[in-house]
Amino acid sequence: MPRLIIDEREIEVPEGTKVIDAAQRLGIVIPRFCYHEALGSVGACRMCAVKFLQGPFKGVQMSCMIDARDGMVVSTTDEEAVLFRKRVIELLMMNHPLDCPVCDEGGQCLLQDETVSGGHGRRRFRGPKRTYRDQYLGPYIKHEMNRCIHCYRCARFYQEFAGYRDLGPLRIGDRMYFGRFSDGSLESPFSGNLVDICPTGVYTDTTARFKLRRWELERSPSLCNQCSLGCNTAANAHHRGVMRVEARFNSEVNGYFLCDAGRFGFSYSNGGTGHRERPLSPRIAGAPASAHAALTAAREALDNIAAKYGPRAIAAAGSHRNSFESQCMLDLICRTRDWRGPVFFWGPEDRRKTLSAVEGLDGEIAVSMREIEKADFVIVVGADPLNEAPMGALALRQAARKNAPVVTIDPRPIFLPCGFEHFPAAPEKIERYLGMLVWKAVEKDAARFGKDAEEFCRYLAAECESCEPPAAMARLSQLLASCSRPAIICGTDVTLQTTPAFAADCVRLLRLAGKQAGLFFLLPGAGSFGSALLSGTDDKTFADLVEDIEAGRVRALVVGESDPFHHYPDRARLESAMSKLELLVAIDYFPSETVRRASFFYPSSTIFETGSTYINQEGRVQFAHPVHCGGVPIRGGEHPPRVYSDLVPGGDHLPAWKALWQIAGTPDKDAGPGGISPEKFIPAALPAFDGLKAGHGYPVDGPRLLTAKAGFQGKWERASADARTGPENPEAFELLMVEWMFGTSEFSAWSDSLDAAAAAPHMSMNSKDAARIGLCDGDTVSVELDGGAFEIVVSVSDRTAEGVLVIPRHHSFEWRKMKDSPARVSAEKIRKI
Amino acid sequence: MPFKYPLVLFQNRKPDRVATLDEYRESGGYEALEKFIGGGISPKEVIRLVTESGLLGRGGAGFPAGMKWAAVPDSSPFPRYLVANSDEMEPGTFKDRMLLHVDPHCVIEGMALAAYSFSGSKAFFFVRPSYESSAAILERELENARKAGFLGNRILGTDFSFDIVVHRSGGRYICGEASALLNAIMGKRPNPVKPPPYPTEKGLWEKPTVVNNVETLANVPHILRNGPEWFKSLSATEHGAGTKIYGISGRVSRPGAVELPIGTRLSEIIDLHCGGMASGSKFKACLPGGASTRFLTPEHYDIPMDFEDLKKIGNRLGTAAIMVFDQNTCLLGATLNLMEFFARESCGWCTPCREGLPYMRDLLWRIENGEGKEEFIPNLRMLCKQVWNSYCALAPGAAEPVISLLDFFEDEVRQHISEKGCPFHAKADH
Amino acid sequence: MLPDELKFKLREMIAGAESPREKAIDVMFAIQELQGWMSDEAMVEAAELLGMTPLELEELATFYDYIYRSPVGRYVIKVCDSTVCWLQGHQRVIDYISSRLSIPMGGTSADGLFTLLPVCCIGYCDRAPAMVVNNRVFGNLTPEKIDRVLTQLAEKADFSGSE
Repeated sequence: MPRLIIDEREIEVPEGTKVIDAAQRLGIVIPRFCYHEALGSVGACRMCAVKFLQGPFKGVQMSCMIDARDGMVVSTTDEEAVLFRKRVIELLMMNHPLDCPVCDEGGQCLLQDETVSGGHGRRRFRGPKRTYRDQYLGPYIKHEMNRCIHCYRCARFYQEFAGYRDLGPLRIGDRMYFGRFSDGSLESPFSGNLVDICPTGVYTDTTARFKLRRWELERSPSLCNQCSLGCNTAANAHHRGVMRVEARFNSEVNGYFLCDAGRFGFSYSNGGTGHRERPLSPRIAGAPASAHAALTAAREALDNIAAKYGPRAIAAAGSHRNSFESQCMLDLICRTRDWRGPVFFWGPEDRRKTLSAVEGLDGEIAVSMREIEKADFVIVVGADPLNEAPMGALALRQAARKNAPVVTIDPRPIFLPCGFEHFPAAPEKIERYLGMLVWKAVEKDAARFGKDAEEFCRYLAAECESCEPPAAMARLSQLLASCSRPAIICGTDVTLQTTPAFAADCVRLLRLAGKQAGLFFLLPGAGSFGSALLSGTDDKTFADLVEDIEAGRVRALVVGESDPFHHYPDRARLESAMSKLELLVAIDYFPSETVRRASFFYPSSTIFETGSTYINQEGRVQFAHPVHCGGVPIRGGEHPPRVYSDLVPGGDHLPAWKALWQIAGTPDKDAGPGGISPEKFIPAALPAFDGLKAGHGYPVDGPRLLTAKAGFQGKWERASADARTGPENPEAFELLMVEWMFGTSEFSAWSDSLDAAAAAPHMSMNSKDAARIGLCDGDTVSVELDGGAFEIVVSVSDRTAEGVLVIPRHHSFEWRKMKDSPARVSAEKIRKI
Repeated sequence: MPFKYPLVLFQNRKPDRVATLDEYRESGGYEALEKFIGGGISPKEVIRLVTESGLLGRGGAGFPAGMKWAAVPDSSPFPRYLVANSDEMEPGTFKDRMLLHVDPHCVIEGMALAAYSFSGSKAFFFVRPSYESSAAILERELENARKAGFLGNRILGTDFSFDIVVHRSGGRYICGEASALLNAIMGKRPNPVKPPPYPTEKGLWEKPTVVNNVETLANVPHILRNGPEWFKSLSATEHGAGTKIYGISGRVSRPGAVELPIGTRLSEIIDLHCGGMASGSKFKACLPGGASTRFLTPEHYDIPMDFEDLKKIGNRLGTAAIMVFDQNTCLLGATLNLMEFFARESCGWCTPCREGLPYMRDLLWRIENGEGKEEFIPNLRMLCKQVWNSYCALAPGAAEPVISLLDFFEDEVRQHISEKGCPFHAKADH
Repeated sequence: MLPDELKFKLREMIAGAESPREKAIDVMFAIQELQGWMSDEAMVEAAELLGMTPLELEELATFYDYIYRSPVGRYVIKVCDSTVCWLQGHQRVIDYISSRLSIPMGGTSADGLFTLLPVCCIGYCDRAPAMVVNNRVFGNLTPEKIDRVLTQLAEKADFSGSE
């Protein structure tokens, strides 16, 4: 480890550390424009010049280009280096417009900061300033090329780091331009990061443009709760509205970046308009009511039901969207009041998959996104990272950039922004392919794997005997055999119930073969891991509640941040069940169908307005701090109602757990409304939280709630698979409902900011299947299900597995017409129109 | 013409046409290939002989050719590539074109031998668009060489296979920089890339690649045929080796390319081999090695034109493209013109070059056009110093004429400022 | 739309390369030979042949001097404006061509035959002032010689070989 002296302070750094990073470890931030830790050094801007006084290099040199070495003595404050940097600024400012007052970057501009701190103040260059024509880059990013200082960060992030190919450097010399071939929306769903990494105002956030200055913002460390990864964000609010979300560095989770869904999908929290208007006022039977009246009335109504039918006639439902606080509160209430539930899962498959993922993961095999980047072989099974966990796709790309082979085994026509080999596989074939790939890689060592693995090895060997592996599999197995840090990314949406456990066992087998193998699950939502931890043993899901309601066993339903109408696959049945309820209490921030139908509604705070805990899919506990108090935002000249009151307009909302606590009534006299806090009720629900203080009390990178060692799961028997693959009509297609990055989630349904990115839905199918039933790419078909028909455009590809129809749960059409889940549909039910 | 020295590279020079394969063979061409490749002499021996001969790269940097080949590690992967750099966009430079138009097979044989030395199997001949005629000649002669068995699969029945393709450039100065050149061939933007890794380890498509100048390659067959001692003896100085093609242009009677012992004195080159200065012209200064070298003043008119001696006076032999200026040339105007060139050709990668060169161009333009101010002079000096710390050698090269203008002709620059215009405008006819 | 014949030729050319992108310049040169310049449509088609996105090809097209992204005349006259040609009166050459064809620097003659552009050193310093017309070089330029060349070009006369 080289030891060097920077500004008279000694430091020892790992081999290969650049001097600029070594200095940063000492708290010395050397000015830079092109250098970015995630993008590496390219030596383009020449801003990070320092003086090397002793050692192998001498004189003014770029600190980003030189590795720290023993015996180096470096000065960042040397007169010559300071002057050099000042002149670099002068050169950059030759053409940079002095438009800071009308530039959205003003106040958070690296160029502005370094111009001022570098001491450049007078433009000596007498020539005209260069100007460019800007391009239209889509709804999220505004282009202002005149401000460009040509640091290449944008192109390097966009092309090298993220793997998209429609933005880059054009022309040469001082005419250099960064843009697209022609005007049009940026293709990358990671485009928002351009705003963060551009050191000046070339790329600004269109959605936040001209609304605020950085120093006017309330800012807090927050989290993204739109998928299970738990990316860290910085939320920015102003005048009771969230104005902008930025990526926040977390070395283990998202690194420096964020996907566009996470960045721009916050508009639901700001009110919205029309049918997307955020419900901020409590309601009784649809009519606005005061907070006190609504809570009291709901509590009384629930008490009446309990008195009339007993407490088991009341059921509670949460969802994958809940914070862990809400989930623990639902758990507490149901336990103490003997209500049914809480249920967090929509159906038994859903539940078992998430539970087996959480059970199969342990501290030894769980890997973070950062570790995925370092993997030297990645197998993606039953997962579509770009759609289900976009930042995961970016992590995969980093592995692929270091030449890690990436293999996907999935029924969907997967796209990833990197090179990968795709094996289209219907859900019931995923395990088989994965098994073959892994077995062929470890087979030769199997004899020494020991007793635990014996049965699994026998099973895999038999599987491999029974069928021919797809071409290319053997070669990939060889590569897998020779790698040292493989990782498996396993999804829980389209997979069989057994697949998560199967994937976990494959990872264990790879570890027995001497590899640092890791496992990374994708779960349905930000709250899924928490749901699984609290799910208990009664095996109940929302599907059971529907039966209970239909049978009259449940008369009242309390839903906390959950919208069955969005998720439940049989809309007609759900409607009829819900109409049988005597009482529906809804607590939410979305203007959902459930909220619309609720007898009592209480508005809950969004992640931006309340401190909330989320446990991501690798078991990492993280906390989102509140950024503002919420309420009716002041925007566009509109002012909230001028009512003389000491309350914030629209400020009645409460964290869901508080509202739940209040409507559930106080169980004992000692604990009044103020007498309960997450610090008490979370550990009560989950002892693992003993000693963890919510919020600032969590360690920075989050503790991971994982068992030390889970061992082989052994749940790979084919029973459930057989149950699923035994339809009366084997020719029938399996309908796979899937998530898209834009257009399928609840956040996407209620955030108008995401509309622009949402593509029209289409149904993917294999080309052979399409030819068999006479369909072509682009045809519109009517698909008739048990509960009715819907129309959709067909997209034909060799990359979709045979025998499946892949359809997004898109909010733009009604797909919830399935009596069974997963549903099957025979060829004659698909008609071209 | 008074050629009193033995010609090597230009021995087959014809007044109006290209030497044929047969003519090249009659002069001993392809003997080295037959002896070394055909005779299965170890590639290491090729490297040893060329290293011993003292052949320095003729592209401008003067790196020992044999050492570059030896830098390809024995254990490195295949295929290995050779690139002949005929981008030749340094203003004033045209020697490689002359070579191609004189004796293309000399280059072809040199490439085969160079590739043999590090087991290269494919070469790219990188040529600029305005040399389309050279490209066409080469493509024609490559075919002839293939037919004769000097190129292609299993050359002369040995296990060594090697072929050459012509790669046409889209035309940019920066493509002459070796790492930018490799990017250009791979169809990437030709920005330079700093080593490590060196191209000899990871070049084209991550495979070992050697980039040599065309003139360097053309010397190889002669060295191998006649031995290193012979090559050394060709030099006019003790420390030099071989001949050099000097390209003389500007205010001399007979501009053109001449092959002379390396280290021939500038005075001799101009007075004897170029027919002296043009009529009515007096030597005022020259750029001795292309646009990115320093002005050389009458004081050094007798200097031996080789790497060592020019280095001693703080200058560089560069591409040995001698641009001669006379008493009627405004050297500020010439420098401005050079800066126009460099600013236009900057690839735009790093700040000092992308912004600094246009800044210098602006200052020079203002001085030339009567808008000059005293403070421009220290500012120019400062900029020259600053661009020295650029990513590649383009901007430091661009600063050379400027800094030497200020060093040797500051009075002339000041005259522009005090007279608010170019003192040469009235009298000069350019 | 590129003619099928050309596309076939280009595909063959690309197939012979180490990697398709290597042929990007050759492909654009071949298209320019036929169409004069690289239109947006040609860029999109060429990019597809090369397995590149239009932006990736544009990164190269806009880098190089000899790829034209705006229409040019049938003959592109590029007059060298670097040092030696400057010294030997390149401005007079430009002025002469400019007035003879009635076009400013950068302009295209009304008959669509000629476009006048500057170019940096073309390596014919021994024959300065020089110009390059569609890859053919003419040196030691005098008004008479320019007349001869332009007349020949206009008449599509044979002007084989560089001067």
